[in-house]
Amino acid sequence: MKYIIMLYASQQDYDLMVGNPTDRPAWDPEAVAKMHAFMEQWTGELVESGEFVDGQGLAAPAHTRRIQGGRDGAPVVTDGPYPETQEVLAGYTIVECDSFDRATEIAARVTECPSPSGEPNGSEYIDVRPLANYQSDLEI
Amino acid sequence: MDGVDIEGLLRRLAPQVLGAVVRRYGHFDLAEDATQEALVAAVAQWPGDGVPDDPRAWLIRVASRRLTDLLRSDQARQRREDTVAAWTLPEERLAAPADQPPSDSDDTLVLLFLCCHPALSPASQIALTLRAVGGLSTAEIARAFLVPEATMTRRISRAKQRIRDSRAPFRMPAGDERSERLAAVLHTLYLIFNEGYASTSGPYLQRTELAAEAIRLARTVHRLLPDDAEVTGLLALMLLTDARRPARTGPYGELIPMADQDRGLWDAAAIAEGVALVSEALPAGDTGPYQVQAAIAALHDEAASADETDWPQIVALYEVLLRLGDNPMVALNHAAAVGMAKGPAAGLALLEGLASDRRVAEDHRFYAVRAHLEEMAGDPVAARESYDLAARRTTNLPQQRYLHGRAARLGR
Repeated sequence: MKYIIMLYASQQDYDLMVGNPTDRPAWDPEAVAKMHAFMEQWTGELVESGEFVDGQGLAAPAHTRRIQGGRDGAPVVTDGPYPETQEVLAGYTIVECDSFDRATEIAARVTECPSPSGEPNGSEYIDVRPLANYQSDLEI
Repeated sequence: MDGVDIEGLLRRLAPQVLGAVVRRYGHFDLAEDATQEALVAAVAQWPGDGVPDDPRAWLIRVASRRLTDLLRSDQARQRREDTVAAWTLPEERLAAPADQPPSDSDDTLVLLFLCCHPALSPASQIALTLRAVGGLSTAEIARAFLVPEATMTRRISRAKQRIRDSRAPFRMPAGDERSERLAAVLHTLYLIFNEGYASTSGPYLQRTELAAEAIRLARTVHRLLPDDAEVTGLLALMLLTDARRPARTGPYGELIPMADQDRGLWDAAAIAEGVALVSEALPAGDTGPYQVQAAIAALHDEAASADETDWPQIVALYEVLLRLGDNPMVALNHAAAVGMAKGPAAGLALLEGLASDRRVAEDHRFYAVRAHLEEMAGDPVAARESYDLAARRTTNLPQQRYLHGRAARLGR
């Protein structure tokens, strides 16, 4: 089974990580390097165990474009639709493993990721969801 | 056979083996799969059994056997599907007269030309070159480009199918076609180098050493075509740029601009080799863009500090580059160099003229150059705003961090 592990962050979290302080102090380069080293090791172990399928980090939420169907049929495009503090998808890793419990175990390790705010990647939670599959059971 | 670098040996032999197999049997696409399987077999067997006396012959034998199997199953499949196979015609397999046996080096070049076939997209050219000539596995290439392995597998098999459909013969293109194809090969190697050089560390990165691989391939082409000035120029450009790599990032992976780099960390041997190559290429006539870029890199590398750089000469070289082709990023670098040579006001005036070019006006580099020139001109308020505008336009996190850092230095 394949599972997606989703990490979240707000525009403010991104700003802190790239050295642009808000009402909270920005991360220093050492803190960023520690977080990267942790995530690199986490990903590396999944590559080694053969469970890694794909993983990407997303650019800051400010770079989002939202497209909605307009009433007159022409799509409406909005730049940067999120409030500064809204936590949105910041990165994901897709794993292929034996069970939901194993995927949960993998995802839970991210809570050990070092961060100045004490939360993994500045986020309070991590989600794991199975990917939908469209294979019917083999009829025997 | 302890101490033998089996991986290095296999990577070196990979294009020679593939070339020999395609030359004997045709079927580039299947021969490529067969060669990869022979490499995998060698990795599994050689460390235990020892490296064979003639490793190249061993690999050709195993790959040929595997190709025979693949051809049998392929023929069976094709009969089932009742399609007409695009077999390579026997006369197309004949590349050279019998009294001039083709050499391995020719085969490596022909393979490079084939992998950079115009029917393929740049992404496919890169992937196929790394696999067929570089000897990298699909998994390694996928990881280097941050795509799932299945995507890369598909990309490579589609590329091979296109080459098969194009019925491109396995032989050296002649005349104008040869120079066009060589340009495509050099561009592919340049893109591979850039991909490796431009990337910095990040939580999702686990990159194969693409810059080193590009240099290795450029060395091979230079060895095969020592008199081609652009090949020499490209190899020099890679060496002179890569020489600065140790100074390019700080202890935490943060970006350090050239002006602030510890030049003692630059790779002196790579610089010496690069400078020697540029000096050899430039007088050969027909100055192309790689030689000019290499000459610019050499001027940077030879300067003891940013201030002691020969900026007027760099400006002149950017003007040569601008005459060779309309490239807004070259115009941007030219403006930055003019700012260093003649003062920030002259650079800012040139930027003004670029602001209407939509290809740069939304690019973060435009604002980063402007910010730097404004800072030099003693206008911290404008510079700060430009740094922020640049940071907002890039999606690259280390770059954003660098730009915010510059803005912060100017005070709130």
